[in-house]
Amino acid sequence: MTRLSELPTLRIDPYEELRFEYDGRPLTGVAGDSVATAMFASGVRVFSRSLKYHRPRGLYSLDGECANAMMAVDGVPNAAAETTPLAAGMRVGPQNVRGSADHDRLGFLDMFDWAMPAGFYYRLMHKPAAMWPIAAEQIRKMAGLGEMEPDHRTVGRYTETYLNAEVCVVGGGPAGMRAALAAAQYGARVVLLERRPWLGGSFEHRLRSLDDGTPAYQRARDLAAAVKAADNIRVFARTALIGTYNDNLITAVQRGANGDDFDERYVEIRAASIVVATGCIERPLLFENNERPGVMQIGCAHRLAHTYGLLPGRTAVFSVGSDGGLECAADLADHGVAITCVADCRPEGHDPELVEALRQRNVPFLAGWVATAAHGRKKVRGVSLTALDGTGTRDDSCDVLVASAGRTPLAGPVTMAQGKLAYDSHTGCFLPASLPARLHVAGRLTGLEDPAAIETSGHGAGLAAAADCGRAVETELRECDERLGQLPGPAAGSGLVRSPTHGRKAFVCFDEDATVKNVRQAIDQGFDVPELIKRFASVGTGPGQGGLPGHNLPMLVAELRGMPPESASPTTMRAPMVPVSMATLAGSSHDMCKRTPVHDSQKLPGAIMRRIGAWRRVRYFSDDLLCRAEVRNVRTNVGMLDGSSLGKFRLWGPDALNALQRIYVSDMAKLRPGRVKYSAMCNDDGCVVDDGIVIKRADNEYYLTTSSGRAGQTVEWFRYHTRYDGWDFKMVNLTDALGVINLSGPNARTVLERVADARVSNDAFPFSGYREFTLLGRVPARVMRLGFVGELSYELHVPSSYMRAVWDGVAAAGTDLGIANFGVEAQNIMRMEKGHLIVGSESEQRTTLNDLGLGFLWSRNKPEARTVGSVALAQTLEQPDRLKLVGFRMDDPEHTPRDGSIVVDERIRGWVCVARNSDALSQAVGMALVDEPLSGEGTTLQIYEDGCGGNLATARVVPMPFYDPGGARIRM
Amino acid sequence: MFLLPSTPLWDTSPPLKSSYDAVLIGGGLHSLATAYYLARDHGMTNVAILERRFIGYGGAGRNTAIVRANQRTQENVPLYQEALDLWPVLTRELDYNLMFYNCGNLNLCHSEAAVTAARMNIASAQFQGVGSEFLAPADVKRMVPALDVSDRPRHPIHGAMFHPPGGIVRHDAVVWGLAKGASEQGIHIHQQTEVTGIRAVDGKIQGVETSRGTINSPRVLLSAGGYSAGLSHRFLGVRLPISPLTIQAMVTQPLKPLLNHVVSSGAYHVYCNQTLKGEIATGAHMDPWPNYTTQTTAHYLKHQAEALTDILPCLRGVRFMRHWAGLADMTPDMAPIIDGNDPVEGYYLNCGWGYFGFKSCTSTGKYVAQYLATGERPEILEPFRLSRYKQHRLMGETAGAISYTPWN
Repeated sequence: MTRLSELPTLRIDPYEELRFEYDGRPLTGVAGDSVATAMFASGVRVFSRSLKYHRPRGLYSLDGECANAMMAVDGVPNAAAETTPLAAGMRVGPQNVRGSADHDRLGFLDMFDWAMPAGFYYRLMHKPAAMWPIAAEQIRKMAGLGEMEPDHRTVGRYTETYLNAEVCVVGGGPAGMRAALAAAQYGARVVLLERRPWLGGSFEHRLRSLDDGTPAYQRARDLAAAVKAADNIRVFARTALIGTYNDNLITAVQRGANGDDFDERYVEIRAASIVVATGCIERPLLFENNERPGVMQIGCAHRLAHTYGLLPGRTAVFSVGSDGGLECAADLADHGVAITCVADCRPEGHDPELVEALRQRNVPFLAGWVATAAHGRKKVRGVSLTALDGTGTRDDSCDVLVASAGRTPLAGPVTMAQGKLAYDSHTGCFLPASLPARLHVAGRLTGLEDPAAIETSGHGAGLAAAADCGRAVETELRECDERLGQLPGPAAGSGLVRSPTHGRKAFVCFDEDATVKNVRQAIDQGFDVPELIKRFASVGTGPGQGGLPGHNLPMLVAELRGMPPESASPTTMRAPMVPVSMATLAGSSHDMCKRTPVHDSQKLPGAIMRRIGAWRRVRYFSDDLLCRAEVRNVRTNVGMLDGSSLGKFRLWGPDALNALQRIYVSDMAKLRPGRVKYSAMCNDDGCVVDDGIVIKRADNEYYLTTSSGRAGQTVEWFRYHTRYDGWDFKMVNLTDALGVINLSGPNARTVLERVADARVSNDAFPFSGYREFTLLGRVPARVMRLGFVGELSYELHVPSSYMRAVWDGVAAAGTDLGIANFGVEAQNIMRMEKGHLIVGSESEQRTTLNDLGLGFLWSRNKPEARTVGSVALAQTLEQPDRLKLVGFRMDDPEHTPRDGSIVVDERIRGWVCVARNSDALSQAVGMALVDEPLSGEGTTLQIYEDGCGGNLATARVVPMPFYDPGGARIRM
Repeated sequence: MFLLPSTPLWDTSPPLKSSYDAVLIGGGLHSLATAYYLARDHGMTNVAILERRFIGYGGAGRNTAIVRANQRTQENVPLYQEALDLWPVLTRELDYNLMFYNCGNLNLCHSEAAVTAARMNIASAQFQGVGSEFLAPADVKRMVPALDVSDRPRHPIHGAMFHPPGGIVRHDAVVWGLAKGASEQGIHIHQQTEVTGIRAVDGKIQGVETSRGTINSPRVLLSAGGYSAGLSHRFLGVRLPISPLTIQAMVTQPLKPLLNHVVSSGAYHVYCNQTLKGEIATGAHMDPWPNYTTQTTAHYLKHQAEALTDILPCLRGVRFMRHWAGLADMTPDMAPIIDGNDPVEGYYLNCGWGYFGFKSCTSTGKYVAQYLATGERPEILEPFRLSRYKQHRLMGETAGAISYTPWN
């Protein structure tokens, strides 16, 4: 197809050819083409098949507003060919076709529309019931447009950028550019977003001269040059809005161009003020076969010619409702398209200059006429027209029908930001009626059509935005408003909702094959509001969402129900305003995983790392998941564990003790320096939320530890529960500032002696003791003597920056003894053998301190402290039938139930929190939460494992700890 | 057979009477189901549903349509199991296709702890005769080839809990079908009718005030979803331990069949399923601050994309096209409050369903109807009393301590 190559508006290079593949055929486009225009240039007219009826569909809006031109591009389905730039070597294919788009074996379905009324699947297909599962599979296969292969990998560079602008202008047309320039003139930092690759909006492709004689396209380019020259305006072209959110947060997606370091990127802008100048899209005219290939909107025909140099057809009929249609007809006539006639559904109010232009070109102009039906099957071949006053009809042949009922403001960004729309009978549009603070609208979005008014409104909006940023604009803003008042206001719209037809194939929603008739059927079935009809008849729920049907649906519903148009309200517009790929949204990886200071020392051969909460830690140091070697080395020798993820806090100040008394169940007044105190925190239900160690380092100076998972919430927990007290205490989270080495085993002291600059004998540093001394001659350490794993054990807390040196020093000091790492699972086994619990493992959300058998920690002698949970602890103390934590021993020592197995009789009576085959004990033991009546020592528990098929295992409740009940080993 | 009559599914403008035997506040699924069963099982047809906007406006039309019965506790499972069994039954009874697609639910485990939790759910389900089994990663891959079961993802897949009886149901169809079924039996569905007060005298319910006048009734059921707690407190001073939180969901553009099962993952905070129309519907986590706005947030869209594509990498090329939000009325133990005559006689509550209200609506409606009609609490509803919170007896529906806000 030859291109118009001399037009000054062209955005293509007709001499740079790009080869690509469509449905297996080699085709050629040119630089600057979109995939769709390149296909059109190669003669493709049927781009896809529709969802239900498999009707042929062609170019319609050229802005990707419906699924008509959604294709599979390089294996990615549902790509909008109209907005995807052509690249050499692309592989493009049609969607939802059996065969090809031109010859679709399911095309016959179009004849069976009578069998598929609105919501037919709700009323049929379930009878007989046995048929439904088969029918459901068929629906699945028939529905859906594009195909995604399960092993497809989308490759590309997807990045993100986060901006903080003073003014964000959405829409780079004349109004948006003027707004950006006005704000920039007052020094505001401006970001301008434009969906298309170039600025210019409705001026960009038009040859018509403005009042001062400048052609519109030239004006657009002049403004674009001024915008580009402004230092404080940053332009994001090829950037489509995703949404407008609270506090002027704007998100968008930008397609990369040559030279960009991304293919697509997510753009997020926090702006002090927003100008929305998104303009209008065209409103589909509702008539029979209003979506036949060859039926297209004004902008589509106009831009095919002016932007891409492609004539939309040889013989055209126009059925329009705005002056833009007249202008387009005159231009196409100049380019050699035979214009059979131009019908305008407005009986009056046309631009006389354009009517005259048509007359000069001998184009018949039919005021008050409208298309009622397009003819032809795969391509439009003719059209029937009727006078709206009933005075006549005519039939014309054509190969392109430019059809449009008027314009629809793109108000989604306004409503998403909580602005409100109202129906305006003058324009026949839903226009912004109330705006949120710091958001302004301008241009065609407000109903304006006069070019000078569009620009002036943009200028005013830019000034208002600058005012939001504290700029003194009053004088100029007042002048601007006065000037705008003298310019033509919003142009009258057609108000026409549909042409006088029965509407059997007049499509309200192309993507869902929903017709005027379907909407009527929905109303007849009791669906009376657009939101319900949208759901019932699927109007506006397809890939193009509510864009095209967004105006027509509420207006049609009002008309069919005999309601005034003012009563109509559009369905909610929702983000994303354009479909956005997950690759772009996901952007670069945001994994916030934490590593301990000695992470590398843990990555030993055979070590199995796990993500545990926020941390990556070693769970096993070999593929023996029972960790026998690790456990044995600790039980008989010495091992070391990287416990750096432990929550660690400094708490100090005059009221620090009060805070401790409030949060911990124990009496913290009894803390003595040099000793550790184990205690727990409960919530208001008396349920345990955390446990840990508290140390009094000096008066009003405490150090405490929490579980790894709770560390992030602990400060907030303290602050919340003391919020009304006005206490003077301070708290710092030291979790990341200090590393922890757990040194355990009978030889632990020997190792510690070699690195500690202090006496650590059993007398000098007994069990439950706390000491501060230096390690390796210079590293300050906080050392506590604990027994979580049931052996002689020290916890060394050292500054993270020295952690590596200390770790290596301790390891070196133990080398001759055979010191070895042990991991989280080995620790888990040993603490279980010792009967020590882990909150969250042996407790549920509903487990109280008493249920865990830790009631002894609770001090009732401090009522003045109003300890969190103490009321509930008292109230639940004698409560029957609670789940209690018990230890159990399996009757069959060879059989260890899986964690999570349940305890049953006739009912479920509890569950196994943890159970292991204990190498040290040669028994299978574990802990379970069971109904209180089953918690007595010696009770037999019946254990039901998943997949056991009813073969229960049995266990006996036994006292804990299982290992070293006397505690001699931790005190050795 | 194709000439389907086009008559209203339900009576869209019944006369508002001055007196009903029962008034149900809220035009969502729980009210509709209760009304249907009041008429069907108990012959109570002088019943009004009062809805401020239109039926199915709230959670009924905003959920992601997943149904299942693999709850954690034995108190909950029977209710959900019965609801699962009811989808085909109601499709027949209502003569309206609820489009139950029995594809099964696959709940991924990404850690040893998650496997433990899954094992417990599976064992509980199996013990109660509900289909559920543990699958190893290779089996998971066979079921959903698009899943990445390698070590690459941030949270590698350790296995999954597969629950064959679950699936998805066309949620809007349930709204309309139940409305049809209730209306056909004479129940009045009043849309655009806002309840502005509940009248109680001497601890007894007298009726309600509405934007269209006063209605007398000895029984009032509050099942207004996310708005229940506010209404209960405002009208009767009865405070409910409910946090209304925004929960967001979204769908992709439609695809040919890619996911043949519901897939969910706790570690990633996502669940997804492919609707019969081909869209991949996904949602999961709630916003962590109580509010009534039903506004979406920018970052949630990103979170969902990041999470989904980490386990289902092919979805990187798939586009989200619609993102919405609804309210989840969360209780401290993630189980509902179903109660009656406490502290006001004739005042019934069915709320606090959080994000589980869809799955269970039919069976719950059935038993709540029985409760309303007889005044006797059905055994199956026994565990859901409001008083359990005062007694510190939370249900174990969630294992870990939850914090909807820093302030609970």
